[in-house]
Amino acid sequence: MVLEATMICIDNSEWMRNGDYSPSRFQAQADAVNLICGAKTQSNPENTVGVLTMAGKGVRVLVTPTSDLGKILACMHGLEIGGDMNLAAGIQVAQLALKHRQNKKQQQRIIVFAGSPVKHEKKVLEMIGRKLKKNSVALDIVNFGEEDEGKTEKLEALLAAVNNNDTSHIVHVPAGTNALSDVLISTPIFTGNGEGGSGFAAAAAAAAAGGVSGFEFGVDPNLDPELALALRVSMEEERARQEAAAKKAAEEASKQEKGGEQQASSQDATMTERASASASEAETKTNDMMDDENALLQQALAMSMDDPAINQEAKDTDMSEAASDDPELALALQLSVADSSKDSSSQSDMSKLLADQSFVSSILASLPGVDPNDPSVKDLLASMQNQSESQQKNDDKKPPSEEEKK
Amino acid sequence: MACLHDHSCEDHDCSTDWSLYKHIDLSKVSALNEARPGSVKSVFKAWEERLNSSGEHLESNEGDPELLVFIPFTSDVKIKSISIVGGADGTSPTKMRAFINRDGIDFSDAQSMQAIQEWDLAENMQGVLEYQTRYSKFQSVGNITLHFPDNFGADTSKIHYIGLKGEATQLKRDVVATIVYEVMPNPSDHKTRAESGGGFSHVE
Repeated sequence: MVLEATMICIDNSEWMRNGDYSPSRFQAQADAVNLICGAKTQSNPENTVGVLTMAGKGVRVLVTPTSDLGKILACMHGLEIGGDMNLAAGIQVAQLALKHRQNKKQQQRIIVFAGSPVKHEKKVLEMIGRKLKKNSVALDIVNFGEEDEGKTEKLEALLAAVNNNDTSHIVHVPAGTNALSDVLISTPIFTGNGEGGSGFAAAAAAAAAGGVSGFEFGVDPNLDPELALALRVSMEEERARQEAAAKKAAEEASKQEKGGEQQASSQDATMTERASASASEAETKTNDMMDDENALLQQALAMSMDDPAINQEAKDTDMSEAASDDPELALALQLSVADSSKDSSSQSDMSKLLADQSFVSSILASLPGVDPNDPSVKDLLASMQNQSESQQKNDDKKPPSEEEKK
Repeated sequence: MACLHDHSCEDHDCSTDWSLYKHIDLSKVSALNEARPGSVKSVFKAWEERLNSSGEHLESNEGDPELLVFIPFTSDVKIKSISIVGGADGTSPTKMRAFINRDGIDFSDAQSMQAIQEWDLAENMQGVLEYQTRYSKFQSVGNITLHFPDNFGADTSKIHYIGLKGEATQLKRDVVATIVYEVMPNPSDHKTRAESGGGFSHVE
């Protein structure tokens, strides 16, 4: 997040027609410039970027440092290749352009794309470098294109003269299959001195590196910050809820051993009433059926109250997990169980529906936050199946009462 | 220790006179052509410490004795005199040029611009020399830039202490405390008292 004014010096000499960087050296350079502009303006909204060309008829400033990305991209269009690069003049004009920046608080930086051979003497370059250092201007050099004898040495000397506390960098990009921009993304020119870099640079690097975004929740916080935030918040809420549920379960375990059906938590108040109503209704019928249903209801109640102490503990804990995953889901399932005990006709339909695993799993998949492949959900489904099977048996046992109800 | 004042230093506490360093906005102090970034902050200290050369000092880059020091203050000050303690062996600066209330001066500006005042400096190893200012010109100083173009012949210039004597007023220059950027300003966020019914009377 350094506040910076940057001048980019583009090499548009005849040497840029070469195709050893795809599609051409000039195009690769233009892509890199676009990326740099984006990265700089994103890392700090008050950053400004300017562009000048070093070859052609002479050094020409295309756009003075501005934070308007559109202007910068527009001026990259219609650039013509020709002439010879004048590195020294280019850097000096860049320094002058930076001197007249509007916001004097910005740090000064020049980024040079040195594609053609360097015809200046090493001494001249060193003098320029010292002048830049004296005025605390940082310099980044991108050495690509022509591999002249002495060019690398001269540029390294220039960097040594400018470098003040590692603020200046040089990058050598050999010709090859990698695009110029891709190579630059991982360099300090983009990431900026390891200050943490900009989100743009990090995102671009991640995208370039793998294709799959390595972000939490699979959502790029830059592209969709609200969604990423919502996912993060719901994850934390979920964890908090699970912790609370686990705590509650521990408490309930001690209480349940005394209470039995009598206790009712607030969320299961209506549930309990219904259950007790249906329980009493069932009691008027045969005893063993009532017992079965009571047991079932008790089991259902206990499960919905996240109580692992009754019956199959493992199943109940799974159930409580699933319940805490989505209490509404659990309640819905429990209600459907209660409904089925109340009204046998609909019960059979319901239980048949519930027994239809594919149907249930499709419902579960559509619910947010429930993964059908989750083992707890699978266990829940299994337990549901068992219940529906036992209720199926009950159905078979009392066909006459069905007729009565109808 | 001798003082230019016609008294002995034990009776009169010189350090209170030279206390303008307390009004310097140290975080915004900067220097051009310093060898170690940030070393310029070490030259602003109390009067008693001025000869203490064990800590950091301001040194220019190898082979270039020019130095430019930018000193902003937290409020407007009046500067009566300036004291400079340089280094030994010719590293002391020979000349000092001051510019007032100008932001972002660099070497080419400093060399071409007319300074508000210039002094010829002598080697001041004991820290007893002070250079008077034309007080009328230094009445409301928000920031001061000191340019040291040359030294006594060494490769680099060293400065151990810069002392400022004067008074601080409570006035502040155009301080913008917080800036809120609004992409799309919403007039309802900026209700004035008049719009929202005023203080006491309420007109329906």
